Amino acid sequence: MYRYDEFDAAFVRQRVAQFRDQVARRLSGELTEDEFKPLRLKNGVYLQLHAYMLRIAIPYGTMSARQLRKLAHIARTYDRGFGHFTTRQNLQFNWPKLADIPDILAELAEVEMHAIQTSGNNVRNVTADHFAGATAEEVADPRPYAEIIRQWSSLHPEFSFLPRKFKIGITASEHDRSAIKTHDIGLHLKRLGGGGLGFAVWVGGGQGRTPYLAQLIRDALPEADLLSYLEAILRVYNLHGRRDNIHKARIKILINGIGLEAFRSEVEAEWIRIKDGVLKLPEQELARIEAYFAPPQFAARPPPAELRPADRSFDRWVTRNTHAHKQPGYAILTITLKPIGGIPGDASAAQMDAIADIAERFSCDEVRVSHEQNLVLPHVRLGDLWSLYQELKAIGLAEANAGLATDIIACPGLDYCALANARSIPIAQRLSARLAPRQDLVGDLKIKISGCINACGHHHVGAIGILGVEKRGEEHYQLLLGGSGTEAAALASITGPGFGPDGIINAVEKVVDTYLRLRAGPQEAFLAAYARLGAEPFKEAIYASA
Amino acid sequence: MSKSSGHVQVLTANRLGDGAVVFLNFDGDWVATLAGAVIARSPDEARGLVARGLFDAGRNLVVDPYLVEMREVAGALLPIRQRERVRLDGPSILDDVPGYTAPVERPPNAAARGAEANAAEGAGPHRGERLTGAEAA
Repeated sequence: MYRYDEFDAAFVRQRVAQFRDQVARRLSGELTEDEFKPLRLKNGVYLQLHAYMLRIAIPYGTMSARQLRKLAHIARTYDRGFGHFTTRQNLQFNWPKLADIPDILAELAEVEMHAIQTSGNNVRNVTADHFAGATAEEVADPRPYAEIIRQWSSLHPEFSFLPRKFKIGITASEHDRSAIKTHDIGLHLKRLGGGGLGFAVWVGGGQGRTPYLAQLIRDALPEADLLSYLEAILRVYNLHGRRDNIHKARIKILINGIGLEAFRSEVEAEWIRIKDGVLKLPEQELARIEAYFAPPQFAARPPPAELRPADRSFDRWVTRNTHAHKQPGYAILTITLKPIGGIPGDASAAQMDAIADIAERFSCDEVRVSHEQNLVLPHVRLGDLWSLYQELKAIGLAEANAGLATDIIACPGLDYCALANARSIPIAQRLSARLAPRQDLVGDLKIKISGCINACGHHHVGAIGILGVEKRGEEHYQLLLGGSGTEAAALASITGPGFGPDGIINAVEKVVDTYLRLRAGPQEAFLAAYARLGAEPFKEAIYASA
Repeated sequence: MSKSSGHVQVLTANRLGDGAVVFLNFDGDWVATLAGAVIARSPDEARGLVARGLFDAGRNLVVDPYLVEMREVAGALLPIRQRERVRLDGPSILDDVPGYTAPVERPPNAAARGAEANAAEGAGPHRGERLTGAEAA
């Protein structure tokens, strides 16, 4: 895991001191809200419906037990006893007092964390495959590159006031768990023809009110050229991106306006100019960063699994929530933050403390946050699974539902968010309760819910997507089908007229019923059935009695 | 002047120190409930409230003041928009939040809606106007 060097530590401490002064001047009246707002946003502080919200970066979704324990401490000391893990692999506190936030940031700095650039028009927290460094599917661990991008983009003087926010995601597996095609830049680390590592670079993806999937701008970028190519893309975007209309300011709008070829031409011209300059990635620097992400000392021969009683719930949990590890005798374990009828992504301080303890004892001191609002223990010995299951059951987080219909992504929605038009969480809770009895029968199914068009809940790439809108002052929900955030990325399509809060629950259930009735068999997953059948049978079922 | 017959307006904002939802009451205080909220029933009264909001924002008491449209039902105020109902009541899911601990200083029922219809009588209100935009995600 990356550790701050003296530069990092001094930089973060300095930033805390600066923000402490800015908050003091705001509270004293020396700074107006107009003056203060851009400063607080640069430090991850929003003003939401009921309170301030602090968004903390968890770089590429990786943290240590010590860091998770600190988040629990902050939840307990400064907030209301819980935190919310987000689709950007961040954590949000929903209730901090403004005067406390500098102290919170100082506490975070103690464990090498911060909230810098978790908002504002700059490069946001770089997201990565939550199985990175553990899955056998990847060609290499993508996190060293994510860390290099983090260092390059943090307070980058040229890119601190971009036309709009900028999101980068990275994967090193053919199976994309990072949804890279929904990012402003998506990076796919792969083996190039000559045997070296490099990237397929995707650009111009994004959700929001105008969703686009990213397009391939360069198929085989050598790793040494990563930063210069990113800089060229950002520079062209910074030059041509619109600043007069927030809804047309993302890079996706620029690229789809001028066309990929015109955009590529400008990027390549700029890249040729700078590629052999200071941004060339030295091998020794890459090796230095990679060393931080060296695999833990795995047991050469893990002890055999402990004796345990026959337990179908445990077997089901192992089947659903573990994933093959590259090291024999180990597994990757998903702890879904999706108890049946619960709130997606929320964890109490006690749960965070317990998971920190568990990670120390069972997962080489590492925890991951997935963009699906779950936690992951990346390095678990198979022989420890039974004990681990018992401990997770004791804190209410042993639900065997990873990837199932109750493993729902939902943004905070109108319960917290100042931008939202409708509540997301209660819809997720009701759907979870409604679908739980049949979730094993249904199999893999990704349901994603956003409370507004900004799409923080990724509804555009849900197999079943739900978008909350406002209609004559009331909550209303549109239903979308057929989306995917994987390597086979696809944007979902709206089925037709929307529904009230009760109607959307029934509509989703009809979609599930229709799938179960018409699928070729249990082996035909929802998206495959939808591709074969088209939207019509689902629409007929949904709107038949309307 | 009103969008809908029988609608009135009150002035709301977020408190500077903690961002809590507050309403302007007749004592000139910003409080967490609608009880005693100043009600605008005419364009002039609404403009007066807007001016008061900007003044108090300038004094750093509150942030982002704006008018909220309400319906008067049996002497109580009910926000027209669901957004404002959630803002008034707080998150609808707190009972389900794992580990949630309510602050001791929070009023036991921030959703008190027993506001007296004690504003000056007059013509109906005009359309609510948000003074500052919500920040982008």
